[in-house]
Amino acid sequence: MSSTPVWLRWTWVVPAAFLTVFLVYPLVVLVATVTSGAGVSLIDPLLAPTIWQVTALATVQALVSTALAVVVGLPLANVVSRYRFRGRAVAQALVTVPFVLPTVVVALAFRSLLGSGVPQGFVLVVLAHAYVNLAVVARIVGAQWAQHSGDYESVARTLGASRWRAFVDVTLPSLRSAIASSAAVVFVFSFTSLGIVLLLGDPTTRTLESQILRQTSVLLDFPGAAATALVQLVIVTAVLLGGAVAARRSPARRLQPVGLRPLPSRLGARTAVLLTAIAAFVIVLAPVAALVAASLRGGSGWTLSWWASLGSIDAGTTRLGSPLQAVLTSLGYAGLTAAVAAVIGGLAAIAVIAPGRARAVGLLALVPLGVSAATLGLGILLAFGRPPWDLRATGLLIPIAHSLVAVPLVVAVVAPGLRSTDTRLMSVASTLGAHATRAFWTAYGPVLRVVIVGSAALAGAVSLGEFGAATFLGRAAGPTVPVQIVRLLGRPGEQSLGVAAALAVVLVLLTLVLVLIVDRLGATPSTRRSGTA
Amino acid sequence: MSAPRLAIGGLSLGYDGEVFLRGIDLTVDAGEIVAILGPSGSGKSTLLSTIAGVVPEVEGTITVDGRDVTHAPIHERGVGLIFQEPLLFPHLDVGRNVAYGLRRHGVGRTEAGRRSVELLTWLGLPGYESGRINELSGGQAQRVALARALAPRPAVLGLDEPFSALDTELRQRLAVEVAAMIRESGVAALHVTHDPREAETVADRVIELSALGH
Repeated sequence: MSSTPVWLRWTWVVPAAFLTVFLVYPLVVLVATVTSGAGVSLIDPLLAPTIWQVTALATVQALVSTALAVVVGLPLANVVSRYRFRGRAVAQALVTVPFVLPTVVVALAFRSLLGSGVPQGFVLVVLAHAYVNLAVVARIVGAQWAQHSGDYESVARTLGASRWRAFVDVTLPSLRSAIASSAAVVFVFSFTSLGIVLLLGDPTTRTLESQILRQTSVLLDFPGAAATALVQLVIVTAVLLGGAVAARRSPARRLQPVGLRPLPSRLGARTAVLLTAIAAFVIVLAPVAALVAASLRGGSGWTLSWWASLGSIDAGTTRLGSPLQAVLTSLGYAGLTAAVAAVIGGLAAIAVIAPGRARAVGLLALVPLGVSAATLGLGILLAFGRPPWDLRATGLLIPIAHSLVAVPLVVAVVAPGLRSTDTRLMSVASTLGAHATRAFWTAYGPVLRVVIVGSAALAGAVSLGEFGAATFLGRAAGPTVPVQIVRLLGRPGEQSLGVAAALAVVLVLLTLVLVLIVDRLGATPSTRRSGTA
Repeated sequence: MSAPRLAIGGLSLGYDGEVFLRGIDLTVDAGEIVAILGPSGSGKSTLLSTIAGVVPEVEGTITVDGRDVTHAPIHERGVGLIFQEPLLFPHLDVGRNVAYGLRRHGVGRTEAGRRSVELLTWLGLPGYESGRINELSGGQAQRVALARALAPRPAVLGLDEPFSALDTELRQRLAVEVAAMIRESGVAALHVTHDPREAETVADRVIELSALGH
């Protein structure tokens, strides 16, 4: 970057301070709390068999979930990102929907869809995890697959390979890096799952995350919880690093921008593509439809009474507020989270592209990805939930925790946007007489405005659906919508289920509005590639 | 005289529903190289892709060694292709790239390995079989692509401007060498190019694409 404005060198200070106070300090307090008691050490809980039993269970569950997401996600990626057909854009947007739905909502939707047929436990949990993560596979693999011209496959075919053989020998190896990256992410999401496991699981589907919750809220075993969090952190980091290494080791194939291809002319292949597209619609929409139906159905047929009682205190569980009040609470937190995460994440992203050693801040901002939401929530509660720093009454603890969860996503959205800007624009602006700051805004302003608003909406969506941290921090203030849904489901009776479903539908709609904002903005930035030939 | 290895009758060329050349008749004999000349975008590549089955034909017949392959799947036609880019499989080493077609034709691993070593030696790349493909120069990579295409002994070989990515001197030299090897192998070769000089250098016959049909 030429003629860099001086302040650009200092953008790292604000995110560094925020992350130090609200991420590093709580984690230090968490470990200190655990180890300060007389005779208590981190070693003892690590020697207990439970932690390793849960690790084994969660590993098997996450592996099966990942395999299923990849097996179903690959054909979706192929069809949605490579072929031209009516409704393709809708199909592509639809595939993303499960990923942005709050996990609690997905769990309830699956219960509504399959609850009577499939008992709670392993199968239901794995299905829900695969559903949530279809978008991860379809988007990451699809982005790479879309750049395959098909020439390599043609060569393999002329050398005697059947269609399937060419796919296995040539296509799959060249997708290996994308598959490895997406599989690592899916594994981590499934391995650290909480909402889905709590609502759809049984004792065989425990995760370390649910174990942390149990240890802190039921057993009051804080050393054990910290040890569990530590084990989870190590495994998650190892898997993400392994995925990155596997992705880098994959040999590169010549990629090129390729337009969407027409549907295959052979009837069989054409039918397969169209059936896959239809399957995408059905797979994505069936659980959501079941959820909507559950919100409109009572023991004696269709009813609007669950929706009508959203405003009534009796329908809540706390006697403090109605379900609708939970919506207002969640919206408030989402707004605060959007603002804080956009500022902190935006500054961190600028620091990442700025010269100097400030890149460390970018790395620090990614740490919350590895630390689970429950761990974050627990740490923040210990650090800021008691004197001398009791912030519980301020209502800021949840937005702070949600901001930490959202900051890595904001950085992931903003940094590539900034990188795609041609740095020479700044030099051009400078030579035309703009001072350094003006030149920066001329070059980066247009992209920055778009990606910051888009990532703020994304952060808001994350906050709306977040469950793990909110369940730790939500006791003092009113519950958020996901917490309220889980509490409702913990009560017997068809009213609880119906109201929970109606509340979940509200959450789906709010999330979709935010995601539409992200999508709309994401489609419009005039990204200028640097080094244009 | 024996029957031509490749015979095309009344073939139409088209892509994505649009036909741009009809009524193509052409035969190529064993060891013969026919150059098809035409400007960029005239459909030369589509001709090769259609013969190989990569692009579905619109109408006409394609016969290879007396067998009608018009509706045969790509891998059962006996037609090899070489593109502008070598398109070597990046996850396989040089030897396994060359052996790929042999393995698909049921040749055992050891025998396929032995034959790819032979082919590489024949093409002036002895000892390269365990080399990585990203360590090859442009000319070497194109030779490996030729070895890979010739290994399963196709009846017909389509060459789609295979030397255009190379510099002038190397292009000339490689074109002469490759032409000699194609003749020796007995394959019927169709070489499409926009360069009249290259066409004259390699081919026994030079035909303008536009003169092939209407």
